[in-house]
Amino acid sequence: MADITFEGVTKIFADNIRAVDDLSLHVADGEFMVLVGPSGCGKTTALRMLAGLEDITSGSLSIGGTVVNNVLPKDRDVAMVFQNYALYPHMTVAQNMGFALKIRGYSKSEIAKKVSEAAAILHLSEYLERRPRALSGGQRQRVAMGRAIVRSPQAFLMDEPLSNLDAQLRVEMRLEIARIQRLLGVATVYVTHDQIEAMTMGDRVAVMRGGKLQQCDTPQDLYDHPHNEFVAGFMGSPPMNLLRARLDATNGPSIEFGTQRVAIPTSYSSSHTLPSGDGPGVIFGIRPEDVQVVEAGDHAGTLTTKVERREALGAEILVHLSLVNAAGTSTLVVDDDGAVVTRPTTMVAKMGPRSGVAVGDHLRVRFNPDRFHFFDAAGGDSLRKS
Amino acid sequence: MSTIRVPTTSSRWLTLKRRRQIAGVIFALPAIALVVCFIGVPVGQDVYYSFTQWDGQTATWIGLSTWSQAIHNPNLWTALRNNGLLLLSVPFALGLPLCIAVLLHQRVAGWRIFRTIYFLPTAISWVVLGLVAERFFAYQGTLNSIIHALGFSHFSTNMLGYQSEALVALGITFIFTMVGTNTMLFLTGLATLDPTLEEAARIDGAGPWRIFRSITLPHLSRFIQLAFVMTVIALFSALFSLIFVLTGGGPGYATTTVEYLIYETGFNQGDFGTAALYGLILFVITGIVGVVQLRLIGSNE
Amino acid sequence: MTKIATTLERSDSTSNSLGPVKKPKRVGRWILFAVMMVVAVIMLYPFWVMIVTSLKSEAQFLAGSGFSWLSWSRLTSVIPIGQEVLSSTIVCSASIFVIVLVGLPAGFAFSKLRFRMSTVIFLLIVSAMMVPLQAILMTEFVNITRLHLTGGYLGAILVYASLGTPFSVFLFTTYFRGVPDELVEAGIVDGLGYFGALWRLVVPIAVPAIATVTVLQFIQIWDDLLVGLFFIQNTSQRPITVGLAVLAAGRTTSIPELMAGSIISALPAMVVYLGFQRYLVKGLTMGIDR
Repeated sequence: MADITFEGVTKIFADNIRAVDDLSLHVADGEFMVLVGPSGCGKTTALRMLAGLEDITSGSLSIGGTVVNNVLPKDRDVAMVFQNYALYPHMTVAQNMGFALKIRGYSKSEIAKKVSEAAAILHLSEYLERRPRALSGGQRQRVAMGRAIVRSPQAFLMDEPLSNLDAQLRVEMRLEIARIQRLLGVATVYVTHDQIEAMTMGDRVAVMRGGKLQQCDTPQDLYDHPHNEFVAGFMGSPPMNLLRARLDATNGPSIEFGTQRVAIPTSYSSSHTLPSGDGPGVIFGIRPEDVQVVEAGDHAGTLTTKVERREALGAEILVHLSLVNAAGTSTLVVDDDGAVVTRPTTMVAKMGPRSGVAVGDHLRVRFNPDRFHFFDAAGGDSLRKS
Repeated sequence: MSTIRVPTTSSRWLTLKRRRQIAGVIFALPAIALVVCFIGVPVGQDVYYSFTQWDGQTATWIGLSTWSQAIHNPNLWTALRNNGLLLLSVPFALGLPLCIAVLLHQRVAGWRIFRTIYFLPTAISWVVLGLVAERFFAYQGTLNSIIHALGFSHFSTNMLGYQSEALVALGITFIFTMVGTNTMLFLTGLATLDPTLEEAARIDGAGPWRIFRSITLPHLSRFIQLAFVMTVIALFSALFSLIFVLTGGGPGYATTTVEYLIYETGFNQGDFGTAALYGLILFVITGIVGVVQLRLIGSNE
Repeated sequence: MTKIATTLERSDSTSNSLGPVKKPKRVGRWILFAVMMVVAVIMLYPFWVMIVTSLKSEAQFLAGSGFSWLSWSRLTSVIPIGQEVLSSTIVCSASIFVIVLVGLPAGFAFSKLRFRMSTVIFLLIVSAMMVPLQAILMTEFVNITRLHLTGGYLGAILVYASLGTPFSVFLFTTYFRGVPDELVEAGIVDGLGYFGALWRLVVPIAVPAIATVTVLQFIQIWDDLLVGLFFIQNTSQRPITVGLAVLAAGRTTSIPELMAGSIISALPAMVVYLGFQRYLVKGLTMGIDR
């Protein structure tokens, strides 16, 4: 068992594409690290470099304190689970799981013992003599896992191992993989494009985009304090509302949305570096669950909105709101074909399943004053002081 | 901080990619060597020796005179004409198998047995088929027996004995030998045809002929192209054993094709240089057909 | 009851939708059957000629009637059939062994271990499929003679192997392109080197492709005349096709004996062919069928 360190690791492919750009990341021994990001963000390339399937253009990569840039995959002692499982079709489940041990010259009895132990953990004991093609998708996934854990390697590398499963099985295996990883305490790098997997499985999550690491934090920190607009928009479903707004200081600090305004609690001026005066404005972020409907009475600090769309998900309702301007009409501009042309300020709010909102209703909403996010309008970086 | 140990396997030059490429080169090398030594080099030598007077031992450079002699050699033109005439058999070598494949595709009782029977001659050597064809066309052969049995005794033929008819006999034998392979190709093509297409067409009111024209044939076009190329290549390069057994290239040069002329010129006349030149001509002809096939393969990848 | 009814209905509807063509009417089907019988008779004609002719003595053959085992009992004294079948077998198996031995790793390299220029080299090798032996017959003959390889089987084996290699490289490459890269990568991460991956993963996975190459090349080489005729100079090492062709061209051997020999020569290829038909079809349509 060992820790993993990426130090300024860069991968440039032959066609001059910078797949991974100056990645620095430390995975502690026993830690479950999730690499997440949209497709093409470099997460799989980073994993393949770790496995020894791709060369490292520059920087250094070490496992357990040993630089492995030029170490052959077989000498790295890492196990990998592939997206399509890559089970050896001509071998039984037991042979698949024991193959790496066989190569390393373990005795037959040792292999059988380790395989049966792993099979017990994965509930595969009944299937050991089957061939991969006689297994279901979920069972194949377990065999792929089994092949990795039998080796008790320095690290597990998993490349979207759940993406070929149906939704229900995915939820099940998500818990299963997390359970096994905790049980074995082996450092794990898990690649996925699914932010729910990232949130639920990782001890820490590294968000990547365009080959660059955006932020690496615990799931909760990532959710509560995204370092930039991209992370804020990527994590969470539905994503954080990101609204272009102007700061106004004339009547105390406030955010201006067209003709409406929301006061900024004074605590933010100390925790954030908010641009002063009538600057270029900011990106204001608020999560859907922090957009609260105000029933009646106190109208201070509320916004008037109109319900544009409504998605009932059973446990909750997602309401798409647009800000209403002074004349009481929606600021949503629609062209002749009914397509939205400009949407100056729209947002999504999460509401209880019994709230009887209908499309066209006017709602007064308030933003949870503890959960404001501010991002630089130009660079997208968080304005929160670190 | 753990100490950083540089592992012994580490090497700046021998990257993972290079290792993979080196393994690739090592694995491909025997095949490359075999093909270069025994196909590539002889083609190159063909070019060289086609400018020489060569008896297999010593070669004297005579430049273009081999070429001018060859071009004025009537035998070459006879052989090329024979190949050209044999091309007339290609439509039959494709059309008959197409009909047979469509018949088999109707799946009448026992179609599997019929399929096996139709393909069976494919397994036999063309040497043997040539022997059988010789029995068929010979003066006391089956063909004359049939003619006699039908009561046309005065029409008895001796096709292999006459210059004008021997080539026809060769062509017919060639068609027979190609039937199995081409039927197999077309049947495979038909099997990949989505039956719902035919159904949809039938619902739209198309008759059997219309369905064949508008759905089956277009679907088979790639298979027909492949069969065409294979048939033409066989016609230029696989007739040797048939001719050797059936007619020996005769009577005269009536059934001598370019490939047989190479053998004739080289081994019977000892004129290796001219034979090499003829080989070059054959190479160019099949090369042109080959380019067509490569484009077929290429268009699918 | 209801269950049976629905199953019946279902099987009925599937047979309708899957039937290749609407079942022709009864009369049409009989005509079809008759046509297919006629074709079958034509295709079986060679076998009929071989069998019937071989069961006559030379005199009976000339007379056109009679029955005799004579040509079969005299066969071995006229044609050294045992030696020739043995020669064919040796040349055939050795050539196929080389073709697979050389083609399989190359296919692996061209599909999974790309190196500089590998695509160009692959295309060049594949285009060598189009070079007929006749085109290089003279130069090849002189080269092999100069290497003193025409005495035994080695020259013929080398020529067959190099003629079969382009196809085998093409077939293996196409086959391996259908195998996911991850399979090899999984082996590498599991601790295999490239040689290990070749031997322990790629070869077992390639069994169907090996079968296809073997069957196609067996029929090709077993039935071939040209290579055996020129590259095996020692008459006591002749393959069977050469033996038959030379006797036939000499036109002195009795036809019934020649036909008996032909049957012997045709049998192995027919057995292989009947046993492995599906690999044959697969190989023929490789690259255009998917």
